[in-house]
Amino acid sequence: MRLWLNHLRRTPLVLFLILYTILAGGPFLWVMSMSLRTTPEIFDNPYALPVRLHWEKFANAWTNSNYGTYFWNSLIVVVTAVALLTLIGAMAAHCLARYRFRGSRLVRFVILSGMILPPQLLILSLFQILLDYGLYNSLAGLIIVYVATQLAMTVYILEGFFAQLPQDLFDAARMDGYGDFEIFWRITLPIGVPAIFTTITLNFIILWNEYLYAVVLLTDDEKRTLPLGIMHFMGGHQLDVGMIATGLIIAIAPVILLYALFSETMIKGMTAGAVR
Amino acid sequence: MAESAAPPRARRVAWLAGDSIADSRQAPMRTILLFLAPALLVYAAFTIYPVLRTFYNSVHTIGPRNVQTFVGLDNFAALLTQDRVFWKAVVNTALFTVVGTIGDVLGGLLLALCLFAKVPLARTLRVVWFTPVLMSYVVVGIIWVWLYDYDWGLVNLLLGWLGLESWQQSWLGDPATALWALVVTHLWKWLGFNMIIFLAALHALPEEVLGAAELDNCGWFAKLVYIIIPMLRPTLVNLLVLSFIGKMMMFDLVWIMTGGGPLWSTETVSTYVYKRAFNWNTFDLGYPSAIAVLWFIMILLFVMLITRLLRSRDRLEF
Repeated sequence: MRLWLNHLRRTPLVLFLILYTILAGGPFLWVMSMSLRTTPEIFDNPYALPVRLHWEKFANAWTNSNYGTYFWNSLIVVVTAVALLTLIGAMAAHCLARYRFRGSRLVRFVILSGMILPPQLLILSLFQILLDYGLYNSLAGLIIVYVATQLAMTVYILEGFFAQLPQDLFDAARMDGYGDFEIFWRITLPIGVPAIFTTITLNFIILWNEYLYAVVLLTDDEKRTLPLGIMHFMGGHQLDVGMIATGLIIAIAPVILLYALFSETMIKGMTAGAVR
Repeated sequence: MAESAAPPRARRVAWLAGDSIADSRQAPMRTILLFLAPALLVYAAFTIYPVLRTFYNSVHTIGPRNVQTFVGLDNFAALLTQDRVFWKAVVNTALFTVVGTIGDVLGGLLLALCLFAKVPLARTLRVVWFTPVLMSYVVVGIIWVWLYDYDWGLVNLLLGWLGLESWQQSWLGDPATALWALVVTHLWKWLGFNMIIFLAALHALPEEVLGAAELDNCGWFAKLVYIIIPMLRPTLVNLLVLSFIGKMMMFDLVWIMTGGGPLWSTETVSTYVYKRAFNWNTFDLGYPSAIAVLWFIMILLFVMLITRLLRSRDRLEF
């Protein structure tokens, strides 16, 4: 009797859980089903399941609607930026966490203050500066801007982790005759893998989804990244809901795939900056 | 491996004698500069310099072919006294920020408490609830534009099924509802983030305290208000500040879903900066820079105010 009452008391909670789960996950399932249906089918009934799976829509989007180009652009920009960020950020974080030197507090303050700069404060003059340097409307320009904007958070997370590594380890390495760069390469980096993984996931997701810098700094269709490509396609084909849905799935597929494999790492990565 | 010429034993002795080379906290300035150089160079050229240049631009008018005229504080004066769209944008951003931040933090806490109550499948639910956080604003924005669609959007369809036809409307097309429709979408995207942070903080709470409360026959609401929330205070403050900053800079979602319309009802400060710089064909980067500078100072002041207020109350308690 008591157990039953307990169950009854929990019914609203369970109901809420089910409703919120549908609300959070439902839209993606809906877009996934639309990505395999043609637009006339969708306008017939937007919320029906696919009758026949139109896989050819993906091939169509990839070649005819230029999503292939957008995808590769995104991949090139994000992978290069994340690789550079990881290396540059780890070097700076290692240096700040490991060595005592004059001006270290100033350097730390200057780099970390980058975390609170609103993009609006940078974007207008970055537009001018990239024009001056001849980097406007180029993937290289976007990459370097991405590195600059994500550097503060990367250094913040890595330095916090590196600073906790026991000093004995480095004393011992020094005694065994390791040079400063060997210490970085053979001790800090391998031991820092968990933190490095965190920053890689965080930067990958943020940059893969980035829109504002890309929309200001790129103009050619051949250079558009995925978020820009989708908006561009949307602008020209407002009513082709089926094709837009296919594009959305192409854009989120890598993220969903990684999430399915490493959900814990990704959750940890995305929330890393906020926990400490 | 140049220094490995000396036998290890000799080096160890040198270290025991306090030789500076062996202190692993010390390194020659050259090495330190090499480690920091790439970061500092990128940072100086693509963060510090642009920020300074924006401040410089904000007191200039920048005409065609980059002709710059010094105008002092004219941009700021015009902004504060004459620009009605700017003030509309400030009001919108403020509404969005206050309602959105409170919703984010309370909603996140509610979701975290649900999962904390030892429900079945909590781990799976956590993963599903977090999914929107990983999606870009472009994806989220487009999905919600469809959901809000007047003719075939799910929101109006559901209202129809529930017999509330009179409530159906063009959610993003009506100036009265557009901003709130955006707030709902923004909440939907970020609730999972706040939930995860709260959940981690809840799991870190000392069990004894929660157990003691149960022994004292403390009701769940009293337990929440008098024990859990005070103990979560640092997390709460952190999330408030994070959420606040994010919403004060809100651009993508608004730009994608409404473009600031209809009738400036969803114009935020950020979308207005963008429009003045790139869409109005005035080609003047000075005026939008002034908006950006002013807004940055506002954000800084508010963040300092929030942390000061909430931290000083902390101090009183002890």
